[in-house]
Amino acid sequence: MSDYAIIGKRMPRVDSRAKVMGKAKFTADLKLPGMLVGKIKRSPYAHARILNIDTSKAEALPGVKSVVTGKDTEGVKWGVFAYTRDQEFIQTQKVRYIGDEVAGVAAVDEETALKALDLIEVTYEELPAVFDSMEAMASETELIHGDFPNNINVHVNIDTGNVDENFKKAHYIREDTFVAPEESYFQAEPYAIVARFDHEDCLEIWCPNGGPHMKSKPLSNAFKIPLHKVKVRKIAIGGAFGGRSEICPVDYICALLAKKTKKPVRIQFTREENTIATRQGHAMITTHKTGVDKDGRVLARETTCYMDGGAYSSTGPIATSVPFLSMEQAYRMGSVRYNGYRIYTNKPIRGMIRTHGRGFAAGLDTQLDMIAEHIGIDPVEIRLRNSRQPGEYTSTKSYVDSCAMDETIHKAVEKSRFKEKWGKLPPLHGIGIGTNSVQTGFPMGIRGGSQSFIKFNEDGEATVMSGVVDNGQGNDNMLVQIAAEELGLLPEDIHLVSADTETTSSDPGSYSQVSTFVGGHAVKIAAQNCRAKLFKVASKVLKVSPDKLVAQNRLIFVRDDPEKSIPIKKVVRISLLNFNSVNAEGGYWPKVDMKREWVKNPYGQMCEAFSFGTTIVEVKVDPNTGQVEVLEATAAQDVGYALNPLVLEGQFEGSIAMGGQGGMLTEYHEWNGGRCINPTMLDYKLPLACDMPPKINNIIVESVDPKGPYGAKEAGMSIAMSAAQAYSAAVSNAIGVYMDSFPLTPDKILAAIKSKES
Amino acid sequence: MEKILITLNINDKPCEVMVYPNDTLLEVLRDELDLTGSKESCGEGVCGSCTIHMDDKPVRSCLTLAMEATGTKIKTVEGLAKGDELSSLQQSFVDHGAVQCGFCTPGMLMSADALLKINSKPDEKTVRKAIAGNICRCTGYTKIVKAVAHAGNSQDHCPDCITFSKAKE
Repeated sequence: MSDYAIIGKRMPRVDSRAKVMGKAKFTADLKLPGMLVGKIKRSPYAHARILNIDTSKAEALPGVKSVVTGKDTEGVKWGVFAYTRDQEFIQTQKVRYIGDEVAGVAAVDEETALKALDLIEVTYEELPAVFDSMEAMASETELIHGDFPNNINVHVNIDTGNVDENFKKAHYIREDTFVAPEESYFQAEPYAIVARFDHEDCLEIWCPNGGPHMKSKPLSNAFKIPLHKVKVRKIAIGGAFGGRSEICPVDYICALLAKKTKKPVRIQFTREENTIATRQGHAMITTHKTGVDKDGRVLARETTCYMDGGAYSSTGPIATSVPFLSMEQAYRMGSVRYNGYRIYTNKPIRGMIRTHGRGFAAGLDTQLDMIAEHIGIDPVEIRLRNSRQPGEYTSTKSYVDSCAMDETIHKAVEKSRFKEKWGKLPPLHGIGIGTNSVQTGFPMGIRGGSQSFIKFNEDGEATVMSGVVDNGQGNDNMLVQIAAEELGLLPEDIHLVSADTETTSSDPGSYSQVSTFVGGHAVKIAAQNCRAKLFKVASKVLKVSPDKLVAQNRLIFVRDDPEKSIPIKKVVRISLLNFNSVNAEGGYWPKVDMKREWVKNPYGQMCEAFSFGTTIVEVKVDPNTGQVEVLEATAAQDVGYALNPLVLEGQFEGSIAMGGQGGMLTEYHEWNGGRCINPTMLDYKLPLACDMPPKINNIIVESVDPKGPYGAKEAGMSIAMSAAQAYSAAVSNAIGVYMDSFPLTPDKILAAIKSKES
Repeated sequence: MEKILITLNINDKPCEVMVYPNDTLLEVLRDELDLTGSKESCGEGVCGSCTIHMDDKPVRSCLTLAMEATGTKIKTVEGLAKGDELSSLQQSFVDHGAVQCGFCTPGMLMSADALLKINSKPDEKTVRKAIAGNICRCTGYTKIVKAVAHAGNSQDHCPDCITFSKAKE
């Protein structure tokens, strides 16, 4: 595999130069002629009926150009699936959380827009509100959405059969409940939108997104205009982490204001709005019941999870499934029954997040450690006895092709010296291991595939078009690396046109970890098709058959006689003189089971590949303050094949920070009724440079997936997901108490130490 | 409120600009002078994305009034490179993979650059302390810390320094 010129190399990213110079443009940096400032009027109540909205005073304020309410919309509701369309873009009947959109204003400046918000008079009839999932299910007051009894939004039921029978055969059974509150993304860039309608009545819109094509379709539905009239433009994106996957109602409101005023409108979220009114992670209460044989092999498992979904469906069916799927991919479960309930509450909307199900996963791994202790084996051994193996099917009938789960465990154990340290560390020192698996893609119907177009310019350089978006993880560089490798060019010869819905074909977006596997694959195929055209021309000049040619370093040469060569630029020009342009297309559609559906039929091939990860951390707990110091972290992931180790390491390290350091030690939201009282960076504790472990060992494991481009799968998510488990296991090991409430804040740690002493 | 004409010295150039007395330096840089490299992320002096230099010291431009900056030497991320030539710190960020989404990068560079002015070869612990007021959500800081610590020289134990020094030869 080592004969690649560009793939597999530690290549600095193509987008970093503009970023270090301050030249990269993010949405809030855009300035268009005549641009207005937009602001959103939000609900002050968690649950209330809207009786009347009077915008007359706001409209009369000098400088105000437009005020829009739900009456100005086409009445289309948003939901990821046809059966979850429960959210009006601007509420007309009811508000369901503090922050729900009620009206929008466009004005000449921010001050005027803010004044206008105060002049909009909304009359509400306050309704009883519910703020946690258990309370919401039992509530006898008005339902949050009338057609969902007990406020149950989504129920995912998975049952492989034989669960009760296998529990009867078990040598040892445990049932434990684990809880974790909501967390937030805190992307560095607060959400922002710029929208305008051009001279052909096309909507042109810039905003952070997890997939431009996932924005354009709902916008075309909302405005009832054809898809080609919605042009989602490429823009630098300051992080997503799953939180920018769907359309945000304010995308529509901003565009509506632009339509009404016939001017560009920019809306910039405050940090508080970014926390409250985009998405959050779900709070979860998870009960795992596990039965094992005398060797610790899982025979049966029953998991029930209640997720606080907030006011609307969002990605509900996916969100209710993914925590379970990650664990059923990581571990063999014998037989399993899963019931996941996503419950509506009068809180902000919950969606997908990079660390989705931290309490779910940490609970499952914590319970494995408890079982291991009971039967007298160590945490590594019990994982190896239950870990996923290549060539198996998951409980929900997905075939697992490439899988180096065991190798990630072995390598992480060796590097961290887990075996030497386990049980031998001084008091209040601990070491813990977590493992996880993440799917590379979801079944996404007609939007599951990606297509790329490549054209050669007469100077021998190439333009590559792809719908793949870069949220910051390095997708642009990935596409350039692949194109340069296949076309025989240098990265600087590739001009990338991406994430623009006018010029690029449909693409599934970046949030199911599928950008490399599907989008990168499409570019690879397009580039190979393009190269075949070059070879056809070059073979006539060099008088050898095309299959003997190699393209590298801007040259096409004969494999066995490298002196015999011709510059690619010359081949392009020869081709043009012969009335043939050098361009090509390529596409990739993963072979998934299209009949698989999150709720109705959660069985069948989920995606073509799965990544597997192991994290081990070593900690020291201060018994007086409850503070945790992380001494070292080791992250090992089966990524399939490392296209760029430099970028991969960055994903691993960032995953340790978000999944482990923040996700397990400090990050959670606090509430007063439905009001989030820590929506800012001052109050919500994100990891800082000085908090992070001084050493992170990155171990890249390559199983070379037979279907992935160059064997590549997904990078980083299995670390983000397993880091939480490793952190919780290490702290539990240090204090000698298995923790069941996350994150592990100092007060909980001190209480646990105290409970043990008494 | 009336606008007032002030002169600011930004990246070694005098700039005349009309400001309101309550305009922050960040607002004036971004909205009036089109220097959008400095970012607003938290708006309350916590995240460090708006960090600039005032007389070589790192300052939060979101908490500084534009009028306070008169008579000082201001440097923004746009002033780090000499034309197209990146500073060694900027180049080190590129080579070490210290940039992911890039939103915190300008502020991070300005905090780090201020450190390097007083300590050209800081150890990693010193770097972590110097950038403790800059929040990065993508990288976990490891590569940023290395990029700052190794900005002045290539170091054998760092795989990216090796790649970089080879590439330069």
